[in-house]
Amino acid sequence: MITVRIPTPLRSLTGGEEQVQAPGETVKAVLETLETKHPGLRDRLLDDKGVRRFVNIYVGDEDIRFLDGLETKLKAGDEISIVPAIAGG
Amino acid sequence: MADSARPPRVLLVGLGGLGCPVAAVLARVPGVELWLCDDDLVELSNLHRQTLYAAAHVGQDKLEAAQQSLLASGTEPARLVLVRSRLLPDNARELVRSVDLVVEGADNFATKFLAADAAHLEARPIVHGAGVRWVGTAWAVSAAGAPCYRCLFEDVPAGAQQGCSEAGVMGPVVGFCGALMAELALRVLAGDADAFGALYTYDGQTDRLRHVPAAARTTCALCGTSPSIFQIEAARYTAPSCAA
Repeated sequence: MITVRIPTPLRSLTGGEEQVQAPGETVKAVLETLETKHPGLRDRLLDDKGVRRFVNIYVGDEDIRFLDGLETKLKAGDEISIVPAIAGG
Repeated sequence: MADSARPPRVLLVGLGGLGCPVAAVLARVPGVELWLCDDDLVELSNLHRQTLYAAAHVGQDKLEAAQQSLLASGTEPARLVLVRSRLLPDNARELVRSVDLVVEGADNFATKFLAADAAHLEARPIVHGAGVRWVGTAWAVSAAGAPCYRCLFEDVPAGAQQGCSEAGVMGPVVGFCGALMAELALRVLAGDADAFGALYTYDGQTDRLRHVPAAARTTCALCGTSPSIFQIEAARYTAPSCAA
């Protein structure tokens, strides 16, 4: 099972949960699973070109752009973090 | 880097929830010349998080109000330079070139990317900060410019993004991140290379601070192996702003 840390702007889609769990062998698979449980999440993260450019997805401390992108393989216990750009203060 | 015979100059972009705690710290550092850059007025909705201002400042120019507060706390007048303007495409490079370090707490993506681009083009280090709802971020980019803001966030997001007026922002969160930005700024001024290259993300709901290393992207338009940004073009910076 993979733990996915949900940033505050997206928690309205996960019932307020700051982290959720989902099975999946790749980042893409986990996001697809999450979409079935939390509709709308995928569209906030991905567009037709892949990860939206103002969103960063990490597996552990590694940005998936420097791994295999959405095809980055996962193992049980891995943690995915979603870090969107924010502007405000 | 600028002339080492004069005091270090820091350009602080934005005197809001992030800029206020940064100013309060840097104004107390001996020898630092603080350039304050904002053209906004103090509003009632600012007071819960913009800690240089009091109720008596509502309606007043933020630069003047901030200057009054900082002078009242003992800052020497000569250490404050007031830049009564926003950071704009037609003044960004000149302003950045005039200082040794940029600290940006802008409330909109357009200014953040403009500051990032100007700092890179002028080879100045920059500390970025942001805060919305319960989350704040801070990170420092070196004068060498990589990894840069565009390595992480690429470009101004298309379409309207939720800012403070829609999403709200917690005062203590921006206070915390402002303090972290000030700490990064001091480390940069002290020559601490370890200040660069990691994104700090603070979640005020879980009280969790994460420190995630950022890596330079070879495809980055600003600092990559084939950059495409060599000058400031106004059309590149268009986005809605946070109005609270």
